[in-house]
Amino acid sequence: MRTRKKILRTALALAVGTIFIAPSQIWCMDASDAPESVTIDLMAELYGPVEFDHLMHTDVASCQDCHHQTTGGEVTDPSCARCHRGTDEGDSVGCSECHVTDRFNATNVKALEDPQLYHFDKPGLKGAYHINCIGCHKTVDGPTGCQDCHTMTDAGEKMFSTGKHAPAKGTSSSGHH
Amino acid sequence: MNKLLNRRNFLKGGLATTAAAAVLKNSDTQAAGHFDGYPDSMGVLVDLTRCVGCRSCEAACNKEQQLPEPAKPYDDFSVFDEMHHGQKRRTDETRYTVVNRYDVPEIDHPLFRKIQCNHCAEPACLTSCFVNAYTKTPEGAVIYNPKVCVGCRNCMIACPFYIPTFKFSHAFTPRIMKCIFCYDTRLKDGKAPACVEACPQEALTFGKRTEVLEMGKQRIRMTPGKYVNHVYGEHEVGGTAWMYLSSVPFDKVGLDTHLPNEPIIYSVKDFLAMVPMVLTIWPGLFVGFHLLATRKDKIKELEDAKNKKNDEKEEQV
Amino acid sequence: MKLFSKERPEIPIVNHLKEDGTEWTIKEKLWLGLSVSEYKKQFIRNPVNWLMVFIFAIGVPLIIGRYIFGLGWVTHASNDYPWGLFLGFGLFGMVPLSASGFMLGTTVELFGRKDFHSIERLALLNGLLGYFFAVLFLEVDLGMWWRLPYPMFVSLGPAAVLFLVAWHVATYLSVQIAEVLPSFFEWIGWLKGKRAIRKWVLGLTVAGIILSTLHQGALGALFCYAPGKVHPLWLSVNFQWLHFFCSSIFAGLSMVIIASTLIKNFMAWRCDDEFLDNLDYVTIGMAKGASLAMITYLCIKIVAVAHDQEWSYLLTGWGTYYFLELGIAVVLPMCMFAVGIRKHYVTLIRFGAFIAAFGIIWNRLNTSLICFNWQMYQDIPHWKEVWITITLYSLYFLTYRFIVYRMPIVYEWKGER
Repeated sequence: MRTRKKILRTALALAVGTIFIAPSQIWCMDASDAPESVTIDLMAELYGPVEFDHLMHTDVASCQDCHHQTTGGEVTDPSCARCHRGTDEGDSVGCSECHVTDRFNATNVKALEDPQLYHFDKPGLKGAYHINCIGCHKTVDGPTGCQDCHTMTDAGEKMFSTGKHAPAKGTSSSGHH
Repeated sequence: MNKLLNRRNFLKGGLATTAAAAVLKNSDTQAAGHFDGYPDSMGVLVDLTRCVGCRSCEAACNKEQQLPEPAKPYDDFSVFDEMHHGQKRRTDETRYTVVNRYDVPEIDHPLFRKIQCNHCAEPACLTSCFVNAYTKTPEGAVIYNPKVCVGCRNCMIACPFYIPTFKFSHAFTPRIMKCIFCYDTRLKDGKAPACVEACPQEALTFGKRTEVLEMGKQRIRMTPGKYVNHVYGEHEVGGTAWMYLSSVPFDKVGLDTHLPNEPIIYSVKDFLAMVPMVLTIWPGLFVGFHLLATRKDKIKELEDAKNKKNDEKEEQV
Repeated sequence: MKLFSKERPEIPIVNHLKEDGTEWTIKEKLWLGLSVSEYKKQFIRNPVNWLMVFIFAIGVPLIIGRYIFGLGWVTHASNDYPWGLFLGFGLFGMVPLSASGFMLGTTVELFGRKDFHSIERLALLNGLLGYFFAVLFLEVDLGMWWRLPYPMFVSLGPAAVLFLVAWHVATYLSVQIAEVLPSFFEWIGWLKGKRAIRKWVLGLTVAGIILSTLHQGALGALFCYAPGKVHPLWLSVNFQWLHFFCSSIFAGLSMVIIASTLIKNFMAWRCDDEFLDNLDYVTIGMAKGASLAMITYLCIKIVAVAHDQEWSYLLTGWGTYYFLELGIAVVLPMCMFAVGIRKHYVTLIRFGAFIAAFGIIWNRLNTSLICFNWQMYQDIPHWKEVWITITLYSLYFLTYRFIVYRMPIVYEWKGER
């Protein structure tokens, strides 16, 4: 499927390329291709979904800041560029294409034993979101608190013993000893 | 008596082990008594550059292990300022894991470090326990059996990381409380512990110990200048299943950097090796002393007897 | 007792038979041959008893409280300081002070020094009681005290140092009971039992030496589990067991000197002439042994510092404290012993023994509490913990006195033996 699509696309590119005078053009997306908003509900159990304002973020960051090489374009990180220089945009640019939702389950952990595997330290989906978002927010003074992005559900409040489930003052163990 | 014999056998075994260790020291053969850890042991890599101090791990641990309700909600970050006897928060009977904040002057943001049992390859708690209450499972967890524990608290003395805690407040059901790597509920089914699963930042990376150690080394290699070039726990006290990566020297985030690279039991081996020696040499030595010390009395006794006989003979003559 | 022993010739009891030829019953022996009212009278006269009543009045409820509300109610024992006074004093302090049993057992039975015979039984009793109460202290301290036999019979962890301690203290306690039993058999008049045990004396004595070497050393080796926690000057991984063993020698001897001094001064009515006449000679002899052990101890302490390359620590505040300990706890009594031996100042030796015994407890508390977690904060024991410790020690004192009052420890049984 993939190869056929690629061939088709390359043919198309060649055709279009000859018309629009850009012989070595790589296919790459730009902000206008992006959705305005993305709903992320990975941690729906503990937190409500995040309405991610994608459009706004395209103003403050480049596609590659989050999407690595998948949106196409020049790859600047020299160590990524060793393999990903000049690759086209991916078939899908969604994070979950590469970042698995349950990185530490037995199957995924077992898969790491493959000695040929190159990206063996690839974060899972939850890790990828948070490392990327919070990492950037720290440098640009964006919000970094948990509930700045997603509100806690009742189950979340229960787990964190907060809100309705907050410990009553003076009755709980202080953990002195 | 039967138990005494067991003990003797053990001591004989100890002697044999010592001898074997001496003979086999330089050969490839592994002498009994040296343990590198189970090959398929699981581990966790704690990357302090990723931790944001959200305390999700503390909350998840509390629920998973059904520990008592905390004094303050887990989204209350004033706990980072709590001090006891000038010490930051530590594990106790109500919490198996704790995150502390460290303000390191050289960097502009605080660092956070999670504490829990590091699940040593050759744990000090286990080797110091005289009722075998601890077990190191092939999965890497150091678990505890409250049914045989006597409550002597030697494990707490021995643990170089101050991890095991005791229910001092309970007179009838005291026990040691410590992180067990979620062995019963998760690890033995191949699942990651609750804290790892809860961590939004993937500051905790779960996997085979050898794999996560490799990941740690790769992170150091791939991002020069970001990390201190050491994975804390790779060698400390003989290697631990939980290991740390840090951007600042490890003593700045409250980790003991003076720990030996050998398991704690190695400090005790000198004495243990002396035991069979005393048991085998002392009896002969001291009975010998006794014979020497009392030989004059014996000689006198014999001479007296002889003289008496002679006297009797003379009398007869 | 002084009062009655002057008035009534048959008191104190030294014989199975009364003046009139009838036998003392065990009950009468227990009451020291006194009537109940006489016994009460002598009890009330003694101010020490009032002190004991005061200590127990507060201490016993505290001990009961410990078993109802847990260790946390009476101690400051925490997760940082898992061991407090009960073990620091009760186990690590009492055990070396009770090394007397094997020391004098060896001297008399093994080396054939019959000239120390008059003190042997006191030394054996001192050993037995010290160990017994060390176990009692342990029973107060153990979380699950009802599982005391577990390391022996239920779940064995034979590679642990504490396993050795448990087994050796248990077997040594049995050996010591066997060694003290002859006095008891004489007193109750069961001579068959006494003679049976006498046959085993050499074996018991050798067993005593082995077990003592190992568990005195093992108590030290317990701290080798915490190389990062005990201050390096108080912990030498290679020499710790030697330090503990060697110091127990002069600790045990000093404790016998103390006990005999107290008995001579406050219980002279109970002693026979052999004990009193020989005491100065025996005390000087024990001081000689103790001072030899002390100089050896000092040497291996220095060797340990050299071996572990710890010279720089000596220049710190901890180093000063270390010198203070060695100076007061070892060098001072050693000099007192030396002068006392040379000039025959037995009183000086007796004072020296008090200092040496205090010094040993100080050293053990230093190792287990004061210099433990030296990079952290200092744990200060709870007053209830101190009080319970004093209560148990008082119980030790009372038991000691109870036995010496009655059994032929510092006197020879006049009746059939």
